Amino acid sequence: MSDHVDGPRSIGDPSIDLTDLFAFTSPADPSRTVIIANVFPSAGVSAMFSNVVNHSIVVRRMAVAGLGEAAKFKPDDQEYRFNCKFSALERGSDGSKPIQRGTCTFPGGQELSFVVNDENGASTPNGVFRVFAGLRSDPFYLAWLVAILKKFPNLLEHDNVLSIVIEFDTKRVLDPGKGALFGVIAETSAIPQPRTLIGHEPPRFDWVGRPEQTNMRLNNPAMEGADDVRDLWNQMTPFALAEEFEPIFRKRLLDSLTNWDMRDGKADWTPTDMSSVINVYLDDFLLFDVSKPMSDTSFLEIEKSTLRGRPYQTGGGRTVNANVIDIMITWMVNNDREFLQGGATGATKPGINSFPYLASPNTQIQIAVENVVLTAPPDKVWTYIGDFGAAWQPLVANITTVGAGVGQIRTVETIDGKRIIERLDASDNSQRSYRYTMISGIQATDYIGTLSVSPKGTGSSVEWRVQYWADGQPDILVKTVVTTLLKTSLDSLKGYFGAAQ
Amino acid sequence: MIDSSVLETTLPLATAGEIAVINLESAREQSWGQFWHYPQRPGVAECIVEQEQMALQFLSDATALDSLDALVERFARTDVDPMRIALIQAQVSSTKHHFSEARAHLRKTEAWGPLPPSANRLLLSIDQACGNNLDAVLETRRQIAAESGRLEDLVPLGALFADLREFDEADRIYQRALRGYQDVSPFALAWVCFQLGSLWGELVTEPQPDRAAKWYRRAIEYVPSYVKARVHLSEIYLSYGHAEDAETLLVPSVSGNDPEVHWRLADVMVEMGKLSDAEALMRTARSGFEALLEKHLLAFADHGAEFYSGSGNDVARAFELARVNAENRPTLRALEQAHGAAIEAGKSDAVTQILSAAENRWGKTSAFKVSPLADPCHRPDVNIPASI
Repeated sequence: MSDHVDGPRSIGDPSIDLTDLFAFTSPADPSRTVIIANVFPSAGVSAMFSNVVNHSIVVRRMAVAGLGEAAKFKPDDQEYRFNCKFSALERGSDGSKPIQRGTCTFPGGQELSFVVNDENGASTPNGVFRVFAGLRSDPFYLAWLVAILKKFPNLLEHDNVLSIVIEFDTKRVLDPGKGALFGVIAETSAIPQPRTLIGHEPPRFDWVGRPEQTNMRLNNPAMEGADDVRDLWNQMTPFALAEEFEPIFRKRLLDSLTNWDMRDGKADWTPTDMSSVINVYLDDFLLFDVSKPMSDTSFLEIEKSTLRGRPYQTGGGRTVNANVIDIMITWMVNNDREFLQGGATGATKPGINSFPYLASPNTQIQIAVENVVLTAPPDKVWTYIGDFGAAWQPLVANITTVGAGVGQIRTVETIDGKRIIERLDASDNSQRSYRYTMISGIQATDYIGTLSVSPKGTGSSVEWRVQYWADGQPDILVKTVVTTLLKTSLDSLKGYFGAAQ
Repeated sequence: MIDSSVLETTLPLATAGEIAVINLESAREQSWGQFWHYPQRPGVAECIVEQEQMALQFLSDATALDSLDALVERFARTDVDPMRIALIQAQVSSTKHHFSEARAHLRKTEAWGPLPPSANRLLLSIDQACGNNLDAVLETRRQIAAESGRLEDLVPLGALFADLREFDEADRIYQRALRGYQDVSPFALAWVCFQLGSLWGELVTEPQPDRAAKWYRRAIEYVPSYVKARVHLSEIYLSYGHAEDAETLLVPSVSGNDPEVHWRLADVMVEMGKLSDAEALMRTARSGFEALLEKHLLAFADHGAEFYSGSGNDVARAFELARVNAENRPTLRALEQAHGAAIEAGKSDAVTQILSAAENRWGKTSAFKVSPLADPCHRPDVNIPASI
C-alpha cells in the first residue's frame, strides 16, 4: 500500500499505521471536497481503531513559489486540522457485537460524533461536514514486484482497511477565494496524557503525504544494503522538514531516483531535472486545487506542470480510483516517455461515486478442509481416488470428463440433481495430489479445491481442501454444501479402506 | 533512574487490550485467507508467523503451533525463493523449540548467500534459548539494543541478563524498554510487564511476590486475555491464601485450551475445599498437557515437567520431561529443573550426571555461583536417601 508497515515504529499496533491519503472533489456534489485517510494494512473484518491515538488530517493553503528548475510549493502558516478520536469498545448487555464510537473535531472547533461502521456516517446540523469511519475495501492496488519491476497481479487483492472519510463544503471550510491550491497530509499521533511520567510520547507515529514516499522513494526496494531511513522520516514534522536532516533525505531521494531511472536501462532524467523533482518530493504533501477539475488521471499533474515551467491545468489531488502506482513508476522510470501499466487495472472493488466513496469491505476467503486417516498405504488410496474423473464420492451420481491431463473438464452430477463443472489445474502423481477450479454449479468465486494423499504411519492421510469466496449467497449456505460433499466423500473411504485408530 | 514505584503506578498508554486482541484475531484470519488464496504473496507467510507467535504468547492458543505446521507444509510446496521458505521453516522450528532443526534450515540458506539480518537475529535467539555462547550473544544483544533502543531489542537483552542471574541489570533494561517505547501496542507493553513480574516473582534468588504481582496486574490491564499473566498472578494470590481472587482471575481463561489454567484452578479448588471440582479440573489439565506433549513435546516439555512435579503428581513423568527439555536446550535453568526432578524421582545416577553436565557447561560462570546447583547440599550423596 502507499505507506504500509513503513518503519519499525509501525510494527507495533498496526491500526495506527497510515496506508493512504486521498483528496478530491466529490463526484456527487462539486461544491464539496472529500479527504480520506486509511489506516491498518490488511485489516480483518472485525478491525477497530486505536482508542489512544489522534487521527489527523491537516490541510494548508499553498502557493506556487517557483517554476521549472526552481519549482517549489510554499505552505501557508495557517492550518485546517481535522482530528478524529475513537472510544474503547462498548458492549451491549445482551452480548451483542461491540460498537465503537468516534468524534471528529473540525477546523474552528466544531465536533461531530459518529458510530464506527455506520455506512451513512454522520453530518453536522448545518450540513457543512459529513464523516464516515470504518472498514472498507482497500482501493489501493499495487501490481508490480517493485524490487525487480515485474508485472504481477494486485498484491492487495481482497484487502480491507480502516477508513476515515471526511466530506465538507469547500467554500465554507477552505475559503478558496484566498487561494484554491492546498496541500494535505494525514498523521497519527499520541493523545497527550497528563499522567504519563515515563519517557515521552513521540510527536507522531506515522504520517503520509504523497503515496509511497517511504516505501518506494526513500526505501527503494531495489537498493539492497541502504540504511532504512523511513523511521527517521516519520519523525519529521510535516510541512516543515528539519534543515539538519534535509541532506540525508535529499541524497537518498537522489540515489533512489537514479536507480528508478535506470530500471529500463535508459537514463531519462537529466541531473537538473532530477534535482528539481527532488526539491518537490522533499516537501511531502498531496497537492489539490479545489478550483480545477480532479479526475483519476490528474494525480501529480500540478507538480509535473510546475516542474515543466507551465501553469497546471487540473486540480491534481488523488481520487479513489487513481492508478497512482503506475503513474508514479512511469514518471520515475522513464519520465513519462511511455506509460508502464502494472499487472492490474483496478483494485479489488473500485471506489463509488457517492458517500462514503469507498466500496464495502471484502468478505473473507472461506476455507473448508476435511481429513481422514486410513490404514491403507498412500499409493493404494491414490490409485482409487487420484483420477480426476473417478466417481468414488457417494453423493455423486455420475461424472463425465472431457479431455485429459491439465485442463481436463469434469461434469459432476450429484444425487440431489446439482450439476458442477470443474477444471483440472494441476496434477502430481508423485506427490499424490491434484488441484482444480470450479467453473459453475456452486455459488462461489475463485473456488479452488485440492485433494492430496500423504503417508501417515503405516497408512495414509487424505486431505481435501476447498477455498472460495461466497458469491451473493450467505457464507453458511455455501459452506454447508461444500463441507457436506467433502466430509461424506472422505468418510466413505473409511468404509472402503478402513480407518486408522 | 526512575524509581520503580513510579514506574509501577504510571505506565505508557496503549490501545485497549480488547481492541488489540480483536484486531489481532481478525487480522490473523485475514492473513490466512490471503495465504490460502495465494501462498506466494510477498510477506504474508512471514506475517502469519508473527501473528501466530503472538496468539501463542498472549492468548496461550496452542493451536498456533498446529497452524504453523500447516503453513510450513503448504509454503514448502510453493515455487517461492527457497531462502524465504527456509527462513520460515527455521522460524517455525524455533517457535516449536526444535532448535537443531531450525539451525539446519538456516544452514541451508547460507548456500544462497549471506544471511539476512532476520536470520542472524533468529540465530541469536536460538543461541540464547539453548544457552550457547552467551558471552557472544550478550555482546551482540548489547550492540543491537544500543543502536536501536527499541523495545523488541531491549526485552531479549533483559531476559539474557536474567538468564545470567544479573537481576538488577535485567530490571534496568526492562524499565528502559518501557520508557523508550514509542508505539501504542498493548502487547509490547504487557510483554515487558510480564517479564518484570516473572523476574521478581520467580527468577530472583529471593522472590518478591508483591512486586511481581504489581507487574502481572499491569500486564493484565494492558491485555486482559493474557493467560500466562493471569496464571502467574493467581499463583501469587493462592500463595497468600486468596483463593477467591485467584479463581476470579482464572475463570475467564478456562474456556481456552491452556491446561495450565485448569491445573492452577484445580489448586484453587483444593484450597477452597471443592475437591470433586478440583479432581475434574486436574483430569482436564492432565489430558490437556498430554495432548500438547504428544504433538509438541519440545515446546511444552518444561511446562509439563513443572505440572507433574507439582500437583500433577507424577515425579517419573516430570523427570522424563525435564530431561527432554534439558537435552534440547541445556540452559542453567533447564538443568536446575532436571536436577530437581531427578531428585524427586529418586534417580541418583541422573542427579550426578546432570550436576556434572551443569558444572561442565556452567561451572565457570557467575550465574552458576548463585545457582542452587552450586550448593554442596544439593549433591546426591547428601540429598538422596540411600535406599533409592
